[in-house]
Amino acid sequence: MSADTFTVGKTEIRKDAWDKVTGAAAYVDDVALPGMAVGMVVRSPHHHARIMQIDARAARDVPGVLAVVTAADVPGSKTFGPLAQDRPALAVDEVRHLGEPVAIVVAESKTAARRGVKVVAVEYEPLPAVFDPTAALEPGAPQVHPGGNVVTRYDVAGGDVEAGFAEADVVLEHVFEVPRIAPGYMEPEASTAEWNADGTLTVWVSSQKPFEDRHQIASVLGLPQDAVRVRSAVIGGAFGGKEDSGLAILAALAAWAVKGTVRLVNNRHESFLAHPKRHPARLFYKLGAKRDGTLVALQATVHMDTGAYSSYGPAVGGLLTEMVPGAYRIPHVRVETLVVYTNSPFSGAMRGFGSPQAHFATESLIDMLAGELGMDPLELRRKNVLRPGDRFFTGAPLDQTASSLPVILEHVAAARARLAAIPAPAGRVAGVGFALAVQSMGLGYRVPDDSTNRLEWAPDGTIRVYVGAPDLGQGLATAAEQIAAEALGIPYGDVRALAVDTALSPNGGVTCASCMTYVVGNSVMMAARQLIETLLAYAADKLSVPRAALAYRRGTVVLPSGETIPVAEFASRAADEDVPLRAEATFSFPYPEATTPKHLPVGMPHGMFVFGGQVARVEVDRDLGTVEVTDLVAIHDVGQAINRAGVEGQIEGGVATGIGYALYESVRLKDNGQWVDGFTEYLLPTAEDVPARIESVIVEVPEASGPHGVKGVGEITLVPTAPAITNAVCDATGVRVTAIPITSEAIARAADPA
Amino acid sequence: MKPITVTLIVNEQPRTITTEPNRTLLYALRDDLGLYGAKDACGGEGECGACTVILDGEPVNSCLVLAGQADGCHVETIEGLAAGGQLHPLQRAFVETGAVQCGFCTPGAILAAKALLDRLPDPTDDQIREALSGNLCRCTGYTKMIAAVRRAAEDMSHVR
Repeated sequence: MSADTFTVGKTEIRKDAWDKVTGAAAYVDDVALPGMAVGMVVRSPHHHARIMQIDARAARDVPGVLAVVTAADVPGSKTFGPLAQDRPALAVDEVRHLGEPVAIVVAESKTAARRGVKVVAVEYEPLPAVFDPTAALEPGAPQVHPGGNVVTRYDVAGGDVEAGFAEADVVLEHVFEVPRIAPGYMEPEASTAEWNADGTLTVWVSSQKPFEDRHQIASVLGLPQDAVRVRSAVIGGAFGGKEDSGLAILAALAAWAVKGTVRLVNNRHESFLAHPKRHPARLFYKLGAKRDGTLVALQATVHMDTGAYSSYGPAVGGLLTEMVPGAYRIPHVRVETLVVYTNSPFSGAMRGFGSPQAHFATESLIDMLAGELGMDPLELRRKNVLRPGDRFFTGAPLDQTASSLPVILEHVAAARARLAAIPAPAGRVAGVGFALAVQSMGLGYRVPDDSTNRLEWAPDGTIRVYVGAPDLGQGLATAAEQIAAEALGIPYGDVRALAVDTALSPNGGVTCASCMTYVVGNSVMMAARQLIETLLAYAADKLSVPRAALAYRRGTVVLPSGETIPVAEFASRAADEDVPLRAEATFSFPYPEATTPKHLPVGMPHGMFVFGGQVARVEVDRDLGTVEVTDLVAIHDVGQAINRAGVEGQIEGGVATGIGYALYESVRLKDNGQWVDGFTEYLLPTAEDVPARIESVIVEVPEASGPHGVKGVGEITLVPTAPAITNAVCDATGVRVTAIPITSEAIARAADPA
Repeated sequence: MKPITVTLIVNEQPRTITTEPNRTLLYALRDDLGLYGAKDACGGEGECGACTVILDGEPVNSCLVLAGQADGCHVETIEGLAAGGQLHPLQRAFVETGAVQCGFCTPGAILAAKALLDRLPDPTDDQIREALSGNLCRCTGYTKMIAAVRRAAEDMSHVR
């Protein structure tokens, strides 16, 4: 906590915690509205098929069934999507993945809805399907969409990669594979839509982007934007996966069809099959270095499986491309990334957004290079790490914030030495590994990236913060409250953030991209300055004194005599007069015109970066092939922590997700043709799987443009975890894992090659 | 299917409901009694622990118990934990330790921890981990949840 702040930097208690520990917090599925009907979705049992006919007569005859909605009923745009409108709200003539929504049954009860779903007769003609992005690129591969299987292709270079390899003494080429994983938030998607008598809709969502949902719902329903009001309920986790309007659109269609109120809740299987996941990818890397360890060239080709619909795939591919060289200065780089359609369940945004895929390959290969050169992997990194004044291969400049990297490296060195000294217990081998990471903040150059937020004095003198972007559970509301309290010099307890309601809140943007505390915080500080001006102008008018005669101090108006009047006196009067004291401000993510390269595709480059490093100690049972992460030290540069417990929570949660990525999780196609789509087979890390000893080291190198020096921490915390673990496994066993999750077979086989 | 009548003693109050015979305890609490603290995060397969309640002293996944099986039994839910408006030490510790993020797993985790502390007032960290191992959480990485249980155990030992 810096010396000159009273709430920023302190661990304040989040105000929703009380409702959450008593069971009072109301998530979408916890609010039963009067007369509410139930919607259930008829889903495709095929990976790829033509729809020959849908016969809903029997379903409509089921007692209690109110309506069956199919694509033919959709009144507006049949398709939607955040970037390309390639995804039907309800399947039109063809299904492209298992679990795709084909129809909605609306009924008076769950039982009736279930019966209705069973008897909607859909006649399919199966089509050939493809599930691997590399196979989908082959000539003659099944076509997922008429325009071909390549959604987006990036080819970005810095330097001359051929010349770079010509200078190299050592060249390594390896292929890495990373799995499709689920965001794994505990609250499955849910939405309640209410058709109002005046022909408007109110839709309750569990979403990262209520304003974007409003746009998508209005488009599919054929309604004007202002006829749709989207309200944010308490959100049970999101991690990128709730940047998706799919279920809210279905709820809206159902409510429109029956002119009533309908709730739709995905069960966990539906969530796995029909909501975005992290893109699986195959990464072909070639790395060249001098004998002394100086990196000279890196070439990568990446095949990224976006599944049946593009979702945010093109943007994820862009960030993956940018992140390929990781935290290293490499003069010659070329990255070709192909975002490819397959008949897999679609992928989209998920915490890290392309960065975890790239870093797994890069951080593995750097260790492999160290092995090849006979160098300490830490020395190799020290030699090549980015420094202030460097540029990424995209040409994006690195300012002084990169000065956190050497600090992070020293923490890594100390942690590695400490963990390496812990002996292995009998029957196990132990190893220590580490990885560095970089993660961008913000949406990228030329992508609209504004956040508007509003402050308002309530009649009692407390502050309402209309944060225009939802708190997903990570604590955005708390950070906004602390920053507002600090800016106005009033107690944290006197500030309260409200949930997003598109009818009342300004548009704060999409909660994503590790930048919400930064953008919302800046906007709140701007609004606070304006709010003080608004107050003083109002007070001057009421007191019949010149504005310049008044000052503001800690919730009071200061008169020339030095006497103070509490703001509440003015705020209550203003409320009586119906002239609320409020101010809103828009902060736009900055991209300095002079230094931002202009030759890149839209969304590149990113303009601000955070850095981190993690050190893992593992114990491996070579006979069983099991890996236990016993210790993890996570070192993260956050600019400045607004709420320390909140930052630690982001780190500890990110590490657990990274452990799942390394060791357990994969939404894979089983031998029976079904996907792993539930927690029986898809193993999320449990309380027994996270390290018994985890240490968060928060490095604070203030960002000049950030509120109180803040940067971001939401995503990077899981990025170095998987390669740190596989590097540790290699240290322990000599087994280099190039495909995650690590299987016990891979380790046991390597232990006993016979 | 003929409806059945079931009496549950929920947080010390007898509550009689008439419900479907295949109704789970989870949905009897949620849909018949309007107690929404127990959550369904895995699709009723007993894999996530979000629906944990304490049934006659034992923590159970309420999605795996039929309401009819619980007829006459004592059911402790999160709504009953704050006696007389006072938070239970576990609830307070979860709030103060920063163990709550999105909160969806929180009621189930607190009840699993309560069942542990009822049985074992001074558990080791390994015992806490084991007791929470059926309660999935994606936000916190469990570290602060484990710390909260340890803290609540200490707070409660001072009371005794």
